[in-house]
Amino acid sequence: MLFIFRDDPRVNAVQRGAIDGVAFATSLVIAPLDAWDRLGNTLQSRSSLQEEVLRLQQENRVLKGQSQRLASLLSENARYKALLNSARDIGDDLIAAQITSLSPDPARHIVMLDKGVNDGVVDGQPVLGAEGLIGQVTSSGNRNSRVVLITDSAHALPVQVNRSGLRAIAEGSGSIDRLVIRHLPATTDIRVGDLLVTSGLGGRFPHGYPVARVTEVIVLEGDAFATVFAAPSSLLDRGRYVLIVMWGDLQREAAP
Amino acid sequence: MIERTQALWVIYVSLGIALMTMLLPLPMEWRIFRPDFVALTLFYWVLALPHRVGVATAFGTGLAQDLIEGAPLGISCFGLMLATLVLLFSYQRIRQFDGLQQSLVMLALMVLSSGIEGWLRTGVDLPTLPLTGLLGFAMSMLCWIPTRHVCRQLRRHYGVV
Repeated sequence: MLFIFRDDPRVNAVQRGAIDGVAFATSLVIAPLDAWDRLGNTLQSRSSLQEEVLRLQQENRVLKGQSQRLASLLSENARYKALLNSARDIGDDLIAAQITSLSPDPARHIVMLDKGVNDGVVDGQPVLGAEGLIGQVTSSGNRNSRVVLITDSAHALPVQVNRSGLRAIAEGSGSIDRLVIRHLPATTDIRVGDLLVTSGLGGRFPHGYPVARVTEVIVLEGDAFATVFAAPSSLLDRGRYVLIVMWGDLQREAAP
Repeated sequence: MIERTQALWVIYVSLGIALMTMLLPLPMEWRIFRPDFVALTLFYWVLALPHRVGVATAFGTGLAQDLIEGAPLGISCFGLMLATLVLLFSYQRIRQFDGLQQSLVMLALMVLSSGIEGWLRTGVDLPTLPLTGLLGFAMSMLCWIPTRHVCRQLRRHYGVV
């Protein structure tokens, strides 16, 4: 069967072409729904829009204030790192993208983004939501790309407990609000409410992006290992806007 | 001239429309309940015109489905081809069945084809459907009679033979 030709470049080209084709077909299918949405937006009342503008302005002021502090902290941190003679972190470049559709395959958590190779997207790039990491790019067409979410049951990523520095692997569970950490010794220091961040091991995800918060630690009497459940920081089934992170080797490879 | 009166394009257009229904947006947890119109439409045409639609069409349909899902190419072909083969061997009997009995046959065929797909997926370490996926088969089963009706109207209207 076609498994034999799995790595054939021509087959890959077809699959990549299909990503753009599928995205285009999807946009055709959902065009009527989109039009309805847009109609709703234009009919939104003036006062509610004004309220929203005010709210956003306030939010923006708060965020600006916070980011000022962030900049000074970043430079301070960079100086410390220079003192410690370690590699200096450079800020990661971000591409803003929009989720256009979900994969129709109900067993998987795959979404389609509206940015592709033409915009600098490379396979393996991490994708951020508003509150934290949501997944990574698995395949990209010219104008669209597929992203597998961290809760997909074929996905696992190296994480670190923010409080204690403990390293672990968070696996997707196949349900949208849950990650699983298996094979942690039962005596490990991990508690409900701990924040898990990317550990940067493996080189796929940059260090320090929030991933999930521990919701449940199960230690059965006599078991050698604890099972830990965590809820992703970003609501993976809400929101449309995501950020693709350009960083490290991936970016260098992509640059011509 | 003879080619024109056969109107074979109707078959491929209806399969294309069935593939388009895969693209309709659904919330994440509801995707399981999406009726499998692709398989239903394919099975209808095999049942109605076994001399036109067979294993090769099933292969092409499976391929298109994989491209849309972003799954490894060919993973859903084998199941669809086998179900089509079963239909080709027994279409004369199944044609005699009434709607409900045919729905049950379709259920069995869909369980067969996605069972094989799940088996292949396990082989390449991909996630398979949870048990609630069986509800999706029930939805597809309920959609057999409407699908059959629409396809039959199409076939009669355009005179596909």
